[in-house]
Amino acid sequence: MFNQNGLSLDQAPPISVVFRFFLSGSLFGLLAGVLVLLFGTEIFNADTPQALILTHTLTLGAMLSFMFGALFQMLPVIAGVKLTAPTKKAALVQYPFVLGVVLLLSAFETGKAPLFISASVLLGGTILGIAAVMLKNLLALPNHSNSSRGMTVALVSLTLLTLLALYMTGTLSGLWSGAGYSEVKTAHYSFGLFGWIALLIISISFQVIEMFYVTPAYPNFISKSLPMRLFGLLLLGSIGAFFFAQSWFFVDIAIVIFLLCYALMTLRRLSQRKRPIADATVWLWRTGMVLLTLSASATLTTRFYPVASLQAINYIFFAGFALSIVFAMFYKIVPFLTWFHLNAQGYFTAPMMHEVIHPKTAMKHLYIHLATLAAFLVSIYYAPAIYLAGSLLILSFGWMLWQIIHAWELYIHTQKTGEKFEMSMPEAEG
Amino acid sequence: MPKTDKIFLDARELEHPIPLERAIAAIRELGEGNYFYMIHRKNPIPLIELAKEQGLEVLNREDEHGTWHILIARDTSLDLEALCDV
Repeated sequence: MFNQNGLSLDQAPPISVVFRFFLSGSLFGLLAGVLVLLFGTEIFNADTPQALILTHTLTLGAMLSFMFGALFQMLPVIAGVKLTAPTKKAALVQYPFVLGVVLLLSAFETGKAPLFISASVLLGGTILGIAAVMLKNLLALPNHSNSSRGMTVALVSLTLLTLLALYMTGTLSGLWSGAGYSEVKTAHYSFGLFGWIALLIISISFQVIEMFYVTPAYPNFISKSLPMRLFGLLLLGSIGAFFFAQSWFFVDIAIVIFLLCYALMTLRRLSQRKRPIADATVWLWRTGMVLLTLSASATLTTRFYPVASLQAINYIFFAGFALSIVFAMFYKIVPFLTWFHLNAQGYFTAPMMHEVIHPKTAMKHLYIHLATLAAFLVSIYYAPAIYLAGSLLILSFGWMLWQIIHAWELYIHTQKTGEKFEMSMPEAEG
Repeated sequence: MPKTDKIFLDARELEHPIPLERAIAAIRELGEGNYFYMIHRKNPIPLIELAKEQGLEVLNREDEHGTWHILIARDTSLDLEALCDV
């Protein structure tokens, strides 16, 4: 974890700040697996409440939790942002956020207005609040890297998609008539999938791929302009849809071409690593980029040949892409944070990173993840396979939960029983 | 003049987190008269901050090729400026 802008250990977030978000993300992931078992293949029909509930459990409950945790960790490290009182801010966000997600899922199931309203207050307050704090700090940076610039754009997208969501929940709870609901809904999920999830991953990759895996840097035409181009296209599609029915058709094609260029370039960069051996995180990045390529190709195809099964396959490809990168970052962040904080506290007996999470343990998760994706794909054509897919999803997030608990136990055990080293010179004997 | 030993690490082609792990292992072994010299493609701020907090002498400098030279010593009598190749 290196940064040229400067990072003090005092500014690095306490380990509990990151772990708590990862913990809630894993629990929502487990819930998603249980919901797949309950809902079966209904989840592949985007118009059903089941699909809506599962999508928000995964994207809002699981992915956003992991992304908040990663942002608390990565903003000081790769953007040089100094978040004051991170423990307090994390606690202020996390509890109402978790409650808000649960209320929203209940609202989707029951359609009750008070649930929509209370979920909106909690989720709107927490997501907009933390996005505002992060944006304020990012905008105050004197010098921006391509990563920090992209993260800023991604956070603006998160703000917009949340405001659009609040408009929709307000409509569903009867607060207003909901003019243009369909256009707002399309803008909401487009900003969610491309403006937030994809753009955040893209922005972080500009620094992480080169830094972690010793590859050449991304070419400027991607790293400098891609985030703003994507954001501009999303704005164009969202506003244009109110005046021109085919607006998203052209915008989607342009977005897909950009995403294809990015994914293929990332695969090329990963093939240019100097180290011949690839660990689980490299394979997870490769898996994610292959799935993004497939998802972009499927999106392009469905624009010309709308096939229902291809749309369902596309959901799996895109969710697989996002989860692959979430998992890759998880296996970098958790061992590093545990090891680094213990070393910073001076513990001589601090476990090495491979002892916090063994590379073979991460590799096993990769296999579970690949098996999960395969089971979901099979279930589109052979419905009973959905129960295998749901069970594997539970295993996948349960695996992560186990790693978080294991790392936390090691951390506490070292603090209680570990020996401290003193690196400075001993006092000269008189 | 007492002999000065250099513990050298070329981390330019090492993947994260190997440079940091090796650097911390090396600086734990530092004693009187020796120093740690690392060259890296990035400025390893966490390592530098950690070393400073432990009261070690630290010098970090970027050369014209964008390579960072990091020198760390326990021995405060060592002139890291003079030992740095940049």
